[in-house]
Amino acid sequence: MSGPVLRVRDLITTFGQGAQALCAVDGVSFDVGPGEVLGLVGESGSGKSVTLRSLLRLLPAGGHVAGRVEWQGRDVLAMSEAELRGVRGGQISMIFQEPMTALNPVLPVRVQIEENLRAHTDLDGRGRRARSRELMDLVGIPDAGRRLDEYPHQFSGGMRQRVMIAIALASDPKLLLADEPTTALDVTIQDQILHLILDLRDALAMSVVFVTHDLGVVSATCDRMAVMYAGRIVEEGAVRDVFAGPRHAYTRGLLGSIPQAGAERSMLLSIEGTPPGLAAIPPGCAFNPRCDFATEICRAVRPDLAEMAPVHRAACHNAEAVAAAGSPVRSALADG
Amino acid sequence: MSHIPRRALSLPRPLLLGGAILLASTLVAAFPGAVAPYDPLAMDYVNLLAPPSAAHPFGTDNFGRDVLSRVLHAYTIDMQIALFATLFPFVFGTLVGAVVGYVGGTPEAVFGRVVDAVITFPFLVLVIAIVSVLGPGLGNMYIAIGVVGWVFYARIVAAEVKVQTRLDYADAGRAMGYTHARIVFRHLLPNAITPAVVYWMTDMALAILLGSSLGYLGLGAQPPAAEWGVQIADGKNFMATAWWISVFPGIAIVITGLGFSLLGDGLAEVLRGRR
Repeated sequence: MSGPVLRVRDLITTFGQGAQALCAVDGVSFDVGPGEVLGLVGESGSGKSVTLRSLLRLLPAGGHVAGRVEWQGRDVLAMSEAELRGVRGGQISMIFQEPMTALNPVLPVRVQIEENLRAHTDLDGRGRRARSRELMDLVGIPDAGRRLDEYPHQFSGGMRQRVMIAIALASDPKLLLADEPTTALDVTIQDQILHLILDLRDALAMSVVFVTHDLGVVSATCDRMAVMYAGRIVEEGAVRDVFAGPRHAYTRGLLGSIPQAGAERSMLLSIEGTPPGLAAIPPGCAFNPRCDFATEICRAVRPDLAEMAPVHRAACHNAEAVAAAGSPVRSALADG
Repeated sequence: MSHIPRRALSLPRPLLLGGAILLASTLVAAFPGAVAPYDPLAMDYVNLLAPPSAAHPFGTDNFGRDVLSRVLHAYTIDMQIALFATLFPFVFGTLVGAVVGYVGGTPEAVFGRVVDAVITFPFLVLVIAIVSVLGPGLGNMYIAIGVVGWVFYARIVAAEVKVQTRLDYADAGRAMGYTHARIVFRHLLPNAITPAVVYWMTDMALAILLGSSLGYLGLGAQPPAAEWGVQIADGKNFMATAWWISVFPGIAIVITGLGFSLLGDGLAEVLRGRR
């Protein structure tokens, strides 16, 4: 594998100014290799979606991004508006959680797909028509010729997400950012969409960053995962390693909360309490008030991400204790 | 294709009725000579202030002019007023509203204060003031209504666009690398324009009333032109003896205004249903 296509360093995203500024993403760093699928995991409010949007500077008013986001050697955060427009949708595409609201309700699907081609390719009208039909086939929508002229409300949820993917892939992006693309879909459709994304990853040789709170999705699709808590990455590593031997108490808690079909019946673990608000992140390790392993040092000193094993990093003072406690995930998932 | 007439029948009744009235009005406005029995300016000194009869169904005025012919010829001017007095406000107001709603921040705050300043004055008073400065006549009346009227469209569209800007598909547009202009005009505006179009229909009815009012006050269309407001003003001294001079143009105003209102209502119903 050659060097990473996306290199994120010390990403800091804040909202508001001065004393009231809230830090939603606090010094996040990670790499995405060519063809790799990275999962960003965390509870609601952990900063995973904001991280994803920060990569393309897609923040609501008042948001500010600092740090470096290197895309093929160029810093996205330093680009001009025009350069950025070339990257967005052309080289890096994004799909959203709610396929209903992410599609324009008053334009037929054909127009919305061709819109991307118009913005990023030199295709003429005939070329765009041919390409949009090809894309509909690619994402598995039957009867493309007729369905292209339909409006989003005429499609089911899963089909809408397919349309969204077709739009995102129109200009052959090299990186797909997926913001909980399956959360709004029912389980059988989820599985189809996940497989579609993986197939397209192989077919188009692109990398994928997946934001999700669903560890089942992560184990089924991702190569590597990064667990976020209160705006920071607390553990990062190959999915198999993290599932088999979590080194951060929070990751262990998350893994313990997955119900496992087929396994011997056991207690579901839950993590007590809720994630801290951005305005009141506790000193030391942000997770310490909810942590079973917390010791004195956790309340005073914020742990840094440290190499625990080859390509497995965690930010926990008691990583050894957590490792010794073992993974709550038995068999199937860890082997999967 | 048997489903087309069925679809037409399923349209709301106000839309069909309003559409029919306006279609007829437009035809009369385009070809008044084809339906009017007399020249609207021809005077007949033998039949001054003649009551409605077979020869003059709506009677004649104090110059012996045929009231029916004048009412029909007035369609030309009054339908023009409905269109020209509202077209510029609609187009300009919509564009300004879309940009302001999308950009937000300081431009939006400034725009808000401009709106406040304009709506502080009663609409008619402001228009009369501007026409008095510019001088009476149809052209100046359009200018006066345009200067004031765009504000209402802009306010409606700005609010709608602001709502749309927060939806995912606006973000999706940005994520696809579309330019701001493309996002606003191609993606947000078609979703935000419905209330402005509906308001436009109502506004055309108001424009006819306003145009007639100004004509009545001598600030809009000028005599001897056939215009409903002018005609009503002509007849006001004869109300007790020759009611028909003022009443028939008044009925024409009511029917045309009703047509626009019904069309606006019907359109609102159809467009709401489509969402």
